[in-house]
Amino acid sequence: MIKFSGVSLLYPQARRTVLDSLTCEIAEGEMVLVMGHTGSGKSSLLRLVNGLVPHHTGGILAGEIIVDGLSTRTLRPGELAGIVGIVGQNPIDGFVADTVEEEIAFGMESLNFAPELMRKRVEEALDQVGLAHLRDRTIATLSGGEQQRVAIASALVMHPKVLLLDEPTSALDPIAAEEILALLHRLVHDLSITVIIAEHRLERVIGYVDRILLIEEDGKSHLGLPEEILTMSNLVPPIVKLARALHLPDIGTSTRDVRRATTQFRESLPDVAAPVRAFGAPTVVAENVTVQYQAKIALSNASLTLHSGEITALMGRNGAGKSSLIRSIVGVQKVSAGKISVNGKSISEYSSVERAQLIGYVPQEPGDLLFRTSVAQECVAADIESHLSPGTTLALLHENISAIDPQTHPRDLSEGQRLALVLSIVLASQPALLILDEPTRGLDYEAKERLAVYLRAIADDSATTVLIATHDVELVAELADRTIFLADGDKVADGSTIDVLLASPAFAPQVAKVMSPRRWLTVGDVLKSQQLSSE
Amino acid sequence: MRTRLSLSLLIAFSLLGFIWPFLVPSQGLADRASWFFLASTPIAVALIVALVSQEELGSKKIALLGTLTALIAALRPLGIGAIGIEPMWFALILAARAMGPTFGFLLGSLSMLLSALLTGGVGPWLAYQVCAAALIGTGVALIPSSLRGRSEVFALVLYGVIASAIFGIAMNLQFWPWALGSGTELSYLPGAPLTENLTRFFSYHFLSSLAWDIPRAILTATFIAVAAHPVLNALRRLQMRSRFVEPHEIEELVLANVRAKRPSVDR
Amino acid sequence: MWIFFIVLAIGVVASGNSLHALGAIFLAAVIVQFKGETGPWRRSFRWSLYAGLYLLAIRLFTSIVIGVPIPGTTIFTLPRLSLPSWLPGIRIGGPVTLERVSNSLQEAVIIAAVIALFGAANSVTSPHKLLRTLPAHVYQISVALTIATSIVPQFISSIARIREAQVLRNGLRPRLSSIAVPLLEESLTRSAHLAESMESRGYGLSRKRSKYRPFSFSIIDIYFLISAAIISSVMVLA
Repeated sequence: MIKFSGVSLLYPQARRTVLDSLTCEIAEGEMVLVMGHTGSGKSSLLRLVNGLVPHHTGGILAGEIIVDGLSTRTLRPGELAGIVGIVGQNPIDGFVADTVEEEIAFGMESLNFAPELMRKRVEEALDQVGLAHLRDRTIATLSGGEQQRVAIASALVMHPKVLLLDEPTSALDPIAAEEILALLHRLVHDLSITVIIAEHRLERVIGYVDRILLIEEDGKSHLGLPEEILTMSNLVPPIVKLARALHLPDIGTSTRDVRRATTQFRESLPDVAAPVRAFGAPTVVAENVTVQYQAKIALSNASLTLHSGEITALMGRNGAGKSSLIRSIVGVQKVSAGKISVNGKSISEYSSVERAQLIGYVPQEPGDLLFRTSVAQECVAADIESHLSPGTTLALLHENISAIDPQTHPRDLSEGQRLALVLSIVLASQPALLILDEPTRGLDYEAKERLAVYLRAIADDSATTVLIATHDVELVAELADRTIFLADGDKVADGSTIDVLLASPAFAPQVAKVMSPRRWLTVGDVLKSQQLSSE
Repeated sequence: MRTRLSLSLLIAFSLLGFIWPFLVPSQGLADRASWFFLASTPIAVALIVALVSQEELGSKKIALLGTLTALIAALRPLGIGAIGIEPMWFALILAARAMGPTFGFLLGSLSMLLSALLTGGVGPWLAYQVCAAALIGTGVALIPSSLRGRSEVFALVLYGVIASAIFGIAMNLQFWPWALGSGTELSYLPGAPLTENLTRFFSYHFLSSLAWDIPRAILTATFIAVAAHPVLNALRRLQMRSRFVEPHEIEELVLANVRAKRPSVDR
Repeated sequence: MWIFFIVLAIGVVASGNSLHALGAIFLAAVIVQFKGETGPWRRSFRWSLYAGLYLLAIRLFTSIVIGVPIPGTTIFTLPRLSLPSWLPGIRIGGPVTLERVSNSLQEAVIIAAVIALFGAANSVTSPHKLLRTLPAHVYQISVALTIATSIVPQFISSIARIREAQVLRNGLRPRLSSIAVPLLEESLTRSAHLAESMESRGYGLSRKRSKYRPFSFSIIDIYFLISAAIISSVMVLA
């Protein structure tokens, strides 16, 4: 279906090729995962298949890509629309119309289809993605998962043979992600559509894909069965890490396979007592907080206490009230009822300057805080704002990531680098409370690990209270001492991470699923247990 | 050819809509003229916009047009409350400079139209605002396109100041006949000599809107001076070209880039 | 609905009677109350009323201060001020007559009514529906405007989000430039994604476009049109 012959891709003024002599074939009806570090050619590869690269996005291309017998050299992306559909990273960025129906019909309108044909196809597409009941809704009012499905429907409406998705699950909570992946699985198996997904969160996708295409940093790539590729890759999901750590003969890609291979470990290894962490005094106390927007109750009667040196994860589906809770704690959201106090004083009594010193907030879009023209300038500004000696922030940044050139424009930084920069800016004033909102979106495993280590060090060394709102179950398992679960505005769980995550099947990390009913969350836990048994 | 002709006619007609108080000979005709122009200028402007938009712009420009229109429309209310603070002009001028006069025309007219629709500022003044903003967007093309660097920024700042002043004059020109009415000392006098009406107008202009014009000019100039470089770069970067080459040429290109020590751009 | 209000506006102007104008404003208010749409443009009627009042105030002020008196009953007399010589020939102050004031106000009311009618039209129809009525050969603009109308609410919440994040960073109210830069970045990224999405779906390949739901006049629209015509004629003839 798709054939790459000697494809090399270079962007003008870049010093490295993005792809180097890629030659491979993808058959019809395959689901292929494209993986690699951030900044590797994953997105570019996807866009090569539908012609966006190089015709639309620019670039210097050698070699040929043939899709269903047609070469992308000679055809504009729109001409391939009937064969290849693409769903970009942020579906909401790609929407053109206000209602679901109009959006799905957009492509057909552009290609001058007859109205009756358009009606029929729109109905089909709505049924295929299960959105028929939402057809006249305004897209802005839909949830993330529903929006993702609208984007998929807009592509399906052209009856494509290939569907390309760029990080389809990064913005979704685990349950919505499962739904989307199940939908894609059905499309592959029922309609024989070839699906290619670029994704960082390998643990979500790994069970569904037929083959994996790995792109390395120098542009070289490998296409093969999941077991082969995962054996050689250094970016691996937790169950593969587990298999490697336990020296299993084969690595499995599904929970079931790895479970079968680890029966003996499950039965023989001893329990490990949870490490007792001494936490400091309570820093944040929220009592019976209710937040109401007009008619809707976003948060109802929530109470919690956070201690210094403790890392707490805040989880829940989108719309469950996580952002309302966070915004109330930092004082930008007025509460309809209840009290919030930080370090003994009610949050509303702090002046905004005091509050800025007290709380470090890393927003979901780290770029919201960056508006100067170089990394160095931002650090200097941070030093001045927090009355620090010059160079403190930059030094902090270099501790975290040494390879950042201070003259880089913030826009040119990778996701991980931008996050590190904002963390340094926010931590420069040594706040007592650090809050991060979805920090791991777009980060690959290595960057996530660096972040986890860094945050642990901060909590331990400076006794900072850390609160992270996230969907990333693996991060929570690795890092958080405590987990709070919100659903529909109510707090439904609040306790040690291991208790909360093990109690919920949908939000359990991979290792827990494999090793259930044993109480292990991460590979580290299992290894510790092994170590204990050998002593 | 036919389009050029109709375009010129329509533009001339809209300009007439601004300056008719100077030309009308008698009071009776004046009242009719007032309503006539209030009604027909919107139609003329709409037709101009329709004609200009016949040119194929391509998905990148249309996406950018829509997004920047939204940006300007969202930024405009930030200035309400402070007199003369109108953040829209610097964005319009810079975008028009990077993307060309047709784009500038459309961006000016659409953003003005959209922000009026959204804030409820729909009234007889709208067509004139749309026309003026559109012409300001197009006028950027008067700056020679080969200008870059410091001189480009300087030219743009100058243009920004002039444009702010002209916008103020244009707005007052159209307010003049119907907001003030006839029969006041400062109103236009049908049939009076040009100098008489001009003095009246300028007195009116100074008394009423200098307070808006000066801050607008200052703000626009400052923003352009500060933001020209990054914004123009960012916009120009969007227009990357594509090339097809043989495999060995890629290696050569890489070597050339490495030798030239260009900073690597993460994609 | 727009046509309804336009016809009404024509009637108001043609009749030249300020009482009719006031009646039209009242009618518009009733319609807005019942059919007002949700969305940021809902308040436009109220704003247009403010604009109308503002206009009345200007007219009143100028007619009192610099109006040329129409002979008639003098209400009161203001002291004369002479202006510096570079603003020649203007007299401020002097006798203020009732006729002058009422004349100005009457004209102003008519104009205010037209403004209000347009404001009401704006309140009652959503821009999206308005855009769907545009014919196919201005489709480039209608696409651009549709995109813009969908994105503006998102930008507005982006501005709030950016402002919050920056206040939490250093406690000071963020300046316009510090909000505008992240917003501009966001808009450029967005427009790049949007262009990709449009291009991939075939935008711009064919000069002709079809319409998914072609616009057609419904019975209610015709009903409104006829009633508008009737009201206007009544105003003119009376």
